[in-house]
Amino acid sequence: MSGSDNTNAKSYVLVQIGDRRFAMSAVTVSELAPPVRLHQFPQTSPLVAGVIVRRGRIVPVYDVSRILAGKNSPAHRFYLVASREFDSFSEPSAIPIDGECELVTAPIQPSDANSPNYISGRLTIGEENIEVLDLNALVTSAPAEPNEFGYADPRG
Amino acid sequence: MKIAAQEPIKSRRIRRSEAVILFTVANQLFAIAADSVQEIRSTDSLGAALEIEQQEILKVRHTIERNHRTYFVVNACAHFGLRVVRPTLVLILRQIRVAVLVDKIERMTEISAIHALPRAFIGAECQWYRGLAYVEDQVIPVVSPTGFLTANDFQRLDGAMAEAASHQSLEGAIQI
Repeated sequence: MSGSDNTNAKSYVLVQIGDRRFAMSAVTVSELAPPVRLHQFPQTSPLVAGVIVRRGRIVPVYDVSRILAGKNSPAHRFYLVASREFDSFSEPSAIPIDGECELVTAPIQPSDANSPNYISGRLTIGEENIEVLDLNALVTSAPAEPNEFGYADPRG
Repeated sequence: MKIAAQEPIKSRRIRRSEAVILFTVANQLFAIAADSVQEIRSTDSLGAALEIEQQEILKVRHTIERNHRTYFVVNACAHFGLRVVRPTLVLILRQIRVAVLVDKIERMTEISAIHALPRAFIGAECQWYRGLAYVEDQVIPVVSPTGFLTANDFQRLDGAMAEAASHQSLEGAIQI
């Protein structure tokens, strides 16, 4: 644990994606999964790389490193499983991460005015400024582009 | 942060088991309910397949006649957006005028549950698949027989066939 004590402080999980660290609200995170098998099949949903199986459930994997690090995630990485909120429903969702996570408690500060909409704020941990990710905004911010299997309209 | 341990795959849903046929298309494994398949034939035995002239639905190039019904032959590679390989088998579906070109039948098996596609999936796969199944530590999409062609596709293909038939009868009349 690290970070400063503050009455407005909340817990966040710090994750490494590419060369950067990001934070996610700890209340949304359910587990850090080992590099289990990624199951892939033809589909056309933007950002969805496939599914993993955790605790008897099928969990979609969003390859957010394309957005956050500008590249596809390498194979055999860990997965951070967090809840993605739909209208009246939440779904466990996984994002591939590089290496270890850290749990911190810190107050959130407003994000920069020119930050993308999936950055909901920032944390100051020591000398480091870490952006806080909004998972739902992040996974819906991807442009519709073909993934490994899919094309814009493969049924033509 | 603690890393969760590896765990065996388990299904939380117990339902009536369902017989499925596992088949491959461009090295991708799919399942389809066995009772939705009427017949499996080699493509070599489809000598009587007729070419259909239309440019709108490119995954359909041929029709075949079975039991006085015309079936539209869907190339599964084109349907799923996979690289096109030469198919060797055709699955003639039951209760729907679709025959599907596939590479290989792996085997038949029973699945105990079909899991709904996660909400993360928002593309054409929502029409393609009934859901996902675990088969021997593998997650396999369970194909929806009605997902190969929409009602609109059938309408357009029937229209193309009717047009071709009228051209043929007109040409016949001119020759006479």
